[in-house]
Formats: sequence, C-alpha cells, structure tokens
Amino acid sequence: MGNDTDGRLSQFRKGVVELAILALLHRGEAYGGEIVERLAGHPGLAISAGTVYPLLSRLKKAGLIDSLWRESPVGPPRKYYRLSVAGDLEFTAMAKAWEGVTDAMDELLGTEVTR
Amino acid sequence: MSAPTPEPVGTLAPEATRLVETYFARVHGALLVAASGECAETLEDLRAHVYEELAATPGSVADVDRVLAELGPPERLAAQCADAVEEPSSRLEYEEKGSALSGTLLGMPYELRFPTAGRVASRWWDPTDPHILVPRVFGVGWDVNFGALAVRLGLMRPDDEDVPFASVPERYLLVSVLVPLLVTVTLGVLVAVYQGPLPAQVAVHWGVTGVADRFASKGSALVLPVAMTIFGLAVVAAAWLRRRSPLARVASGALATMLCSISATAYAQTVATAYGSSDVGILLPGLAGSLVVTFALLVTLSRIGHAAEVRRDLDDSTKGSVR
Repeated sequence: MGNDTDGRLSQFRKGVVELAILALLHRGEAYGGEIVERLAGHPGLAISAGTVYPLLSRLKKAGLIDSLWRESPVGPPRKYYRLSVAGDLEFTAMAKAWEGVTDAMDELLGTEVTR
Repeated sequence: MSAPTPEPVGTLAPEATRLVETYFARVHGALLVAASGECAETLEDLRAHVYEELAATPGSVADVDRVLAELGPPERLAAQCADAVEEPSSRLEYEEKGSALSGTLLGMPYELRFPTAGRVASRWWDPTDPHILVPRVFGVGWDVNFGALAVRLGLMRPDDEDVPFASVPERYLLVSVLVPLLVTVTLGVLVAVYQGPLPAQVAVHWGVTGVADRFASKGSALVLPVAMTIFGLAVVAAAWLRRRSPLARVASGALATMLCSISATAYAQTVATAYGSSDVGILLPGLAGSLVVTFALLVTLSRIGHAAEVRRDLDDSTKGSVR
C-alpha cells in the first residue's frame, strides 16, 4: 500500500518537476548544478540531482531544451541549458494546463487546504 | 446540442451506431498488442460513456461527431490509454514489473530476459542515475552502474555527455574492441605456453580460504574460460556488425573486457596452482583488475566524448549558437 502511494506520488511529481525545469529555464539559461541548486530551494518539490539529470537528458532528447558548453569563470567549462523554440511552446501550453489543474484542485480540495 | 432531427431518446440511428463502433474499432486497431488487454476495460467504459451521452441527444450523426470529437482522434485516444497503463519512462523499467521474467523476489532483483546490448548499456553506464548498484543485467542480484560510480568518485558530472559516447571519434571507439582482444591474446599466449606442460588434473575452483577444492582434467579446465571469451567477443562483433549505437558498442566492449579478463584470470590461477602456488594470489587481484579495467575503459572513452563535445561548442561559441 505504502509503495503504491509512493509510486503515485513519484509519477505525480515527475510531471511537476518537468514543468519546474521548463519554468526555470524560461527565465533564462542555467547549468546543471545551478538548476539542481535552485530547484532544491523548493523543498516541496523534493528534487535532487538524481531527479534533475535524467529529466534534463529526456527533455533534451525530446528537443524541448538545448545545451551548450561554455567557459566558466571558475573551473572547467559548464554545460548550459536553455529552452528551444519547441520547449518554449511546450512550457506555455503546460503552464496554462497547470493553471487549469491548480484552479480545479484548489476548488476541489478547498482553498484552506492548499493555501 | 444543435441537431434538430427529433429522435426517440436512447435509440440511435444505425448510421450513428456504426460511427461509434467504427471509432472504437479504430482505437483498438491503433493500440499496441501489449496494451490492448489493459485498455480493454477502459475502452468499454468509454464506449458506455459515449452511448450515455448520446442518449441525452437526438442521436443524429452530428451528435455522434460532436461526442466523439471530445474524445479526440482514435489514434490519440489509443496512445493516451497505452500511456496510462505503461510506465512511460524506460529508466523505471527495472523498478516496475515489466514482465514475469524480471522483477524483485524477496527484495532481490532478478532479470531472466536474454541480455541485449541496449540493456547492458543502460544498466552499466547511466551517469544521470545516482544508483551505483542496479539490478543485474542477467541473473539475480546487482550490477555496478559504472557511470554513477564515476560521478560519485568525482571523475565526471552526470551531464558531461549529451548521449553517452556519441561524440567519441570512431577510432577511439575501437579501443573498446582492442582491449578485450588484447586480453584474449594474453589468454591465448598463456594457453600456448602452459597447456602442454600442465599436469593431467588441475584446480578449477578455490574455496574462501584460497585452497583449491575442485579439480578437473586440464582439457575441461579450458572450456569455461574459452566459452566466456568467445561469448564476449561475439557480443562485441554483433554490436559492431549491426552498427549499433556508440553506447551499445562501448557497453558490449565493456562486457567483453569483463568476461575475457575474468577468463584469463581464472586460467592463470589454474596454471599458478599447478606450479605450486598455495593461495589465490592471481585470482583475487585479477577479478578486482577486471572491474578496474572495465571501469577505466568506460571512463576514458566518456572523457574523450566529453572533451569532443566541449571542443565542438567552444569552437562554435563565437557564433553564439546553442545546440
């Protein structure tokens, strides 16, 4: 039972984390460590490097993000990620869908629970 | 909603029924065989839902079109249904039960599907996955995800390569063939030099204390090392001849390196025991060496791929393009 709940939560979070990464990159390009660090600043998402890197790889394969190695002011070059044109469209669509979901869920759960 | 043709509620024109049935036949047709079983119930519910919706309308062809349009094209509905019953992410393949041939038994993962180059590759080298121990490619227990190990040891970052080994120049990829070949040559030399002089009965198994506890004829002592070596080389040959992805080719080279070096080590220990060695001074370092050589091969090639990727981007950087 516990496993089932964990499984559902992880399924649920996977979609959210994907949107979170797209949202972060929508604000501007970032390198892997930076993405992990900034998302880890939102404990509710429970994101770790182990979640972010496989998703970055998947998003890149799906053509939603691009990457480029750049010299770093400190240490070795860093791989920077940014939204592709397709990723930008996907982000807009997902963000809109997300708004619909949160509105509906707020209403269903009652605002005092979610806020 | 807008259809003016009055029809008794709940009775559909044959034409309307035919449209609904054709729609669901197309959904079934678009489903993968694997998913059709799990989706059947969902589709039955959807079909009931459609007829229920239509019962509240005059049931004209226009009504049917409208209700079916809400479900979207049949192909998309089939894909949505298949997605819902299947694990969409392949990296969870071993965490979720894919088939009875793989899964977990008493907390121990098992995998009885025949190993493919793709599966070896995704288990042995996935730097983005932080798990160092991953379910074994074939058998019961765990294998080492060398990619995760390299990241944990600080030798690389998880995203050092876009697609593992994809940017490695072809001539360097050949190293993954050369290493197992070199080990095979070593085994060949050992056999050529020592097989003749070996006594008729030789040690083929050693206990935990390092003392030989099983003996066999010197001919049969060769069977397992030679079979493992041939299997390893065959896997590499198949990956190259079938022009598999660089990741699959490198992983098959790593598998062959491991199998060939374990074989050579075991044979060398047999020889050493026959020549009076009373411990497993070759076997243990040899097995550890097999792991180290395999790891070094994977990490070295990955570093070469990474360097090529960085060079490509930094050379392009004046143009400011992002790939």
